[in-house]
Amino acid sequence: MNPRTRLALVVVAGTGLAVLLVAACLRLPRFGGDSHPYGDRAVHTSLARHTANTVASVNFDQRAFDTLGEMTILFAAVVGCVVLLRQTRDEHRARPEPADVTPPVRRYALIVLPIALATGLYVIAHGQLSPGGGFQGGVVAATSLHLLYLGADYRALERVRPVGLYEVGDAVSAAAYVVTGLAGLIGGTAFLANTLLPYGTFNTLSSGGTVPLLNAAIGMEVACAVVVLLARFLDQAVEIVEESGK
Amino acid sequence: MNGWLVAATVVLGGGVGATLWGVATGPLRRRVVAQNLSTALACPGLLLLAQGYDRPAYVDLALVLALLGPVGTLVFARLLTDELADDPPRARGVTWAAAGLGAAVVVALCAAVGPSRAMAKLLLVGALLIGGNVVASRALSGGIAGVRGG
Amino acid sequence: MADAVVVVTLLLVAGSATTAVVVRDPVRQALVLAVLGVVLAVLFTAVQAPDVALSQLAVGGALTPLLLLLAVRKVKRRKGRER
Repeated sequence: MNPRTRLALVVVAGTGLAVLLVAACLRLPRFGGDSHPYGDRAVHTSLARHTANTVASVNFDQRAFDTLGEMTILFAAVVGCVVLLRQTRDEHRARPEPADVTPPVRRYALIVLPIALATGLYVIAHGQLSPGGGFQGGVVAATSLHLLYLGADYRALERVRPVGLYEVGDAVSAAAYVVTGLAGLIGGTAFLANTLLPYGTFNTLSSGGTVPLLNAAIGMEVACAVVVLLARFLDQAVEIVEESGK
Repeated sequence: MNGWLVAATVVLGGGVGATLWGVATGPLRRRVVAQNLSTALACPGLLLLAQGYDRPAYVDLALVLALLGPVGTLVFARLLTDELADDPPRARGVTWAAAGLGAAVVVALCAAVGPSRAMAKLLLVGALLIGGNVVASRALSGGIAGVRGG
Repeated sequence: MADAVVVVTLLLVAGSATTAVVVRDPVRQALVLAVLGVVLAVLFTAVQAPDVALSQLAVGGALTPLLLLLAVRKVKRRKGRER
């Protein structure tokens, strides 16, 4: 196909897409209106199941199967990264030398690390009550560990981060999500149905049935996945060097 | 539209808008400082929004930003050491001005909520934000040196 | 008038997203992207979507810049060796 026909095709297709999008936007409900048929049903269901955060109820109860799909995407992406960024035969590892970080920065990193880790766990645990949940808290917790690399040096990070353990954790928590779903099936209802556990008292940590359990599984899965992903990137950027001449 | 939302609009439009200009133009040393200031100004903005919408749960957003914003700047300080060493940023004045704005917002919000757990959380956010941004600014202007392969 | 916050943050998002496309150097792009992440989180908060805003903050705050800069570093090191 020569460039001219290609351009013509792009223009025609782009114009068509733009027209359709504009037409669809004109039919949208008004911004900030008061008619939300789906929202009303979602809020009603989440209140019936004692889940204060409707978004958590949608993610981990009403649409828990979609979340299983999203989790699988992250899992597959990390597995792909691990395979692509492995150490090949013509590469070797060089010991990185420690960085010279001034005391205030080092102290800041060591003080903030536990606070960030606790915040991550807090965000996971309160997913069914306030904004947040497994994904957000997991990323915060995983990022906090890497303060050791930023504020101290790479070897300090390697000591608290046995990558193999996190790889196992990633797989175990992904399996835990599926097992919780299967438990619903054995309990006589449906896969991932929130009928196993009592719904608890509204607006407490243990409310929402299986929502906190699934939240915790996702939190662990995401935290482990991010640690493994960053470990591969750090390996490549810091440790692994190609043989000279290559 | 209450006073808190007006204040948030001004902080976001004026402050964060200015840092956007700073990060889009000029030499690298100016851009990293602008990136640091964008979190230092967006965090008070989020606190003001939480108060303006009367949603205490939104303070969690400011807490996460106060924790991770300076960490993001440390990432740049750590991995751009060589580029910044030749031409270190000098941003004492603007950093402390942004810290002062953050402190003023936290004090105003503390006065509005009164002594409670919410106030303790606000003070934690304020301390993390100001400490984090001052340390991150320090790290940018030569706080991390001599990284050789690490 | 109540939508002033939304309008201002929308303009900031449009501005920073355009800048992220226009800037060509990956390091500077990473800086603009970090700012874009923060601004986007504020926009999500302004339209009352705090869960999405929290995801954006968690990912855009430190994780994306770290991944980008590590990739840049690896590429630069390889180029340095080839020279």
